[in-house]
Amino acid sequence: MDIRELKKQSDLSYDIAVAKRNALEKAKSRQILVYKEHIFRADAETICLIKTLSDKNDSFFVLDTNKNPVEINDPTEFLNKLIERNQESLNTYHQMYKTFSQRSE
Amino acid sequence: MKKGILLFCFDTEHTSYHRILERCVRLIKKNLGLEITVVTNFETFKRMGSLGSINYKLIQHEKGNTKLGKEWNNVDRHMAYELSPYDTTLVMDIDYFCLTDNLLQYMDTAYDFLIPDKVHDLTDRNTFGQRQWSMIPMVWATVFIFKKTQKAKKIFDMIKYVKKFYRYFNDMYRIASKNFRNDYAFAIALQQLNGFMDYDVFPFALATLPPDCKVIAINDNAVAWQYHDQISYIENQDLHVMNKEAVDV
Repeated sequence: MDIRELKKQSDLSYDIAVAKRNALEKAKSRQILVYKEHIFRADAETICLIKTLSDKNDSFFVLDTNKNPVEINDPTEFLNKLIERNQESLNTYHQMYKTFSQRSE
Repeated sequence: MKKGILLFCFDTEHTSYHRILERCVRLIKKNLGLEITVVTNFETFKRMGSLGSINYKLIQHEKGNTKLGKEWNNVDRHMAYELSPYDTTLVMDIDYFCLTDNLLQYMDTAYDFLIPDKVHDLTDRNTFGQRQWSMIPMVWATVFIFKKTQKAKKIFDMIKYVKKFYRYFNDMYRIASKNFRNDYAFAIALQQLNGFMDYDVFPFALATLPPDCKVIAINDNAVAWQYHDQISYIENQDLHVMNKEAVDV
């Protein structure tokens, strides 16, 4: 057992954990979408909600991040914007995540 | 609707804030592309190099506040409403570096006033855990957006009131630091004016590099820092750099 090697591994694990948390926070910041003058998170929950509601109605109400109601008249357009923003942010996160994997090898 | 950015910049004996401003303005022009107005005093203005096409408002700033025993000229933020020439104004600390265009879309919301109520410590140490420093739900006046509306005017009027009786509010909310801080003044004003209920906030956590981190490299896309023996970096994310020596990197 080489304690220096273990310390090095511990430091590396910490560095990667902090970098991962920062990258995730960055992705969350980028997932915000302003639509019809209101603010939404382009996260899995919002995307699933819009998809589900749009299957039943052409027009409906949802809450923005400050719990204010917004009428959505064009669900397809809104859903496309949400998915685009969601995948853009997660793609960036994925690129960063690959560097973590390389560092820990 | 005229949109723009309002920045406050006053040099002190210890810190050449105008040098931080130069980086801040360059990043704003690159990533946000909005019109900029800098509120400053004549002494600082004389030291500034050419920053290109921006507007200046020269004022005689209020003195007397300190941070860690050093001069700290942060007391004039309550005048942002009167000083701004814009219908929608983004106010930023000049040590908040926009490495993305994330803030741009918030200029087009229906909200009168938006401010962040969460912070993300980039060193993952929860340095800014609010409950250990005060009894008030915190906001961060580092970045906020307001419109020239009656509601926003009332918020600024309330901030002025809190500032006037700051010592009283400071004691009431058991705030640890006794100097004047905009974060607390804004937090108190928003809580009081909103009947001690929720108010509208930005949905993101303000990425912040604590003052005990040494910035070792910085460019228009990324910032690298050292904390003890740990070196980290972040790229393409807006962040608040609290160590003012970053300007020398």
